[in-house]
Amino acid sequence: MTQSAAPLMSEFEAAAVVSGLETIAEDVVLLTLTPAAAGHLPAWTPGAHLDLILDEGDGELVRQYSLCGSPADRDRYQVAVLRAPDSRGGSEAVHRLAEGDRVRIRGPRNHFPLVTSPRYVFVAGGIGITPIIPMIEEADAAGADWELHYGGRTTQSMAFRDLLAKYGDRVRLVPQDQVGLLDLQSVLGTPVPDTLVYCCGPEPLLTAVEQRCQSWPSTALHLERFSPKQRADDADTAFEVVLQRSGLTITVEPGVTVFDAMRGAGVSVLGSCLEGICGTCEQGVLEGEVDHRDSVLDEEEQAANDCMMVCVSRSLGPRLVLDA
Amino acid sequence: MGIPRHAWYPVAASEGIGRSPIARRLVEVPLVLYRSTTGEPVALEDRCAHRPVRLSDGVLDGDLIRSTYTGFTYDPTGRCVSVPTQEQVPYGAAVRSFPARDDGSFVWVWIGEAGLAALRTPPDTSVLRTDGWTTFGGALDTAAGIGLLYDNFCDITHVVQLDQAIAPPALTTGPPPPLEVEVSETSVRFWRRFDAAPLAPWNAQVLDLPEDAEHEQVEEGEFVGPGYWVDRWTVEVKGHGDHDGQHTLVFSHALTPVSEKRTRHIWRVSRNFAGSAAAEGTLKPLFEAYYARVGEVLEQMQTILDEEGPRPEVAVAADAAVTHVRRIMQRMVAEELGG
Repeated sequence: MTQSAAPLMSEFEAAAVVSGLETIAEDVVLLTLTPAAAGHLPAWTPGAHLDLILDEGDGELVRQYSLCGSPADRDRYQVAVLRAPDSRGGSEAVHRLAEGDRVRIRGPRNHFPLVTSPRYVFVAGGIGITPIIPMIEEADAAGADWELHYGGRTTQSMAFRDLLAKYGDRVRLVPQDQVGLLDLQSVLGTPVPDTLVYCCGPEPLLTAVEQRCQSWPSTALHLERFSPKQRADDADTAFEVVLQRSGLTITVEPGVTVFDAMRGAGVSVLGSCLEGICGTCEQGVLEGEVDHRDSVLDEEEQAANDCMMVCVSRSLGPRLVLDA
Repeated sequence: MGIPRHAWYPVAASEGIGRSPIARRLVEVPLVLYRSTTGEPVALEDRCAHRPVRLSDGVLDGDLIRSTYTGFTYDPTGRCVSVPTQEQVPYGAAVRSFPARDDGSFVWVWIGEAGLAALRTPPDTSVLRTDGWTTFGGALDTAAGIGLLYDNFCDITHVVQLDQAIAPPALTTGPPPPLEVEVSETSVRFWRRFDAAPLAPWNAQVLDLPEDAEHEQVEEGEFVGPGYWVDRWTVEVKGHGDHDGQHTLVFSHALTPVSEKRTRHIWRVSRNFAGSAAAEGTLKPLFEAYYARVGEVLEQMQTILDEEGPRPEVAVAADAAVTHVRRIMQRMVAEELGG
């Protein structure tokens, strides 16, 4: 055996059995996953997501889905998946699954945590409702004041309508074919003190909510993206990265990510989506200025300059020092 | 480092809570603990609503607890049900009550937002009650913050420096094999497998194996939640006839964060071999001495931090688990603080 002091990092990963498969709205299946071997699943909190690793014969597909069950349920995970023919094929593969099939699961991890607050405004668009479901359960149990504005194409396309019915008029369903788009002006037009806004949904909704929340305190808005933010490609330059704990200095060339350069140097760093959306590869920053290119950190967190997603982010200066 | 409040914390061994009220402290909250007539654990704030006296100095009357100074009497929900000086119970008079659970090994209390307690589960402690496992243990009050205890659990290489008698030779017979660290949002687990090496004399003795025989050994550690840590040491015996098998010691640590700088540490050592009292006679003094020694060092660290303040620490590769545990605790605290 090769002896080395470098720890091998990994995320919790296990085989799981599809123990339930239920169509809960048009083109939306609710998948229940139980561990294939005896034992508990790691605990999670609202906003967490899970990797589903699907064997596709010629390779594997890795997709991230928000956990939409209850954190109180320690024996299974639930995710709801919309069939999206235009996407990269993950959702079609999930919709082909049958009860009893095996998949691999990895995580959970959480980059959309529900921060304690006396009041919340939840805004969900379409399948973006999934992380909001456990958030509502949590906010309600904590006795917080909250409301949900949930938009969808049609009533039939909107998942979890039955489950949401028990919350009465805290929940406003906004099917587009009947009442049009979410009225973000009336929901978010005036900042409300001591209130956090949580939003998940398609990119146009996220962008619109970001714009509406510009007059809110900078820490009020929390949102989650499941597709990377669009950005202009700049001409990248090379820079040096010092990995303090590993005692290594590496050079990151243009066209190579910090993540790849670290792996190339034999440093075991975690990574999953490699698009700056899942947050798995986060590394502590000790020195240097980060060129943040991820969709995980908000403006304030990026400005703090104390961590970075090494799969996409780079350096503004010639040198970064990482706690790795 | 702050201490998360939205978590189940063990506050006492199950057998330590009965029909006499006892006092505990959890993240600066004074608690009085007792059992109702049906055996359910009750956790109330240990301070009478009338005068600053401890209810834990009081007496039980059925399911009720009465202050022996003020005479104010409270039910298990904390509501005041009678006062000695008037018929009318003062409107709204109450002490805080906290969700409490008994899993058969420890009593767990939740001092965070009460409604959230049902959405979280205390860690699994079933190894302490499973057939085929024999357990002994002890408890220590350590004048050190819970974070220092976790730093210590995350890296056992210091065992060699601290206690030559207990340290497995596997830790010193060569460069340590790499640590494998597995994380999730809320958990950190690590393990490493040592090439065949001799056992510590005490380990060979309780396994009834020759002292010079070499065996593969596996070290594991697991951060299960802010109040519970489990580590394991497994000796894989092969070629010794009836002695073959996986012989595991499980070390369970139930941690009560009393304050930022004080932690109650209830430890349990379970084994799936050598269930005799004689084996316990060998093992128990060793681990009592070891955990006491660890406690002394941690108290010294806390004193240095108090007197000189924290400083940036030089980290090494072996700190990967420490880093993740600290990150989980810090995130929990940050999310609870809000903003």
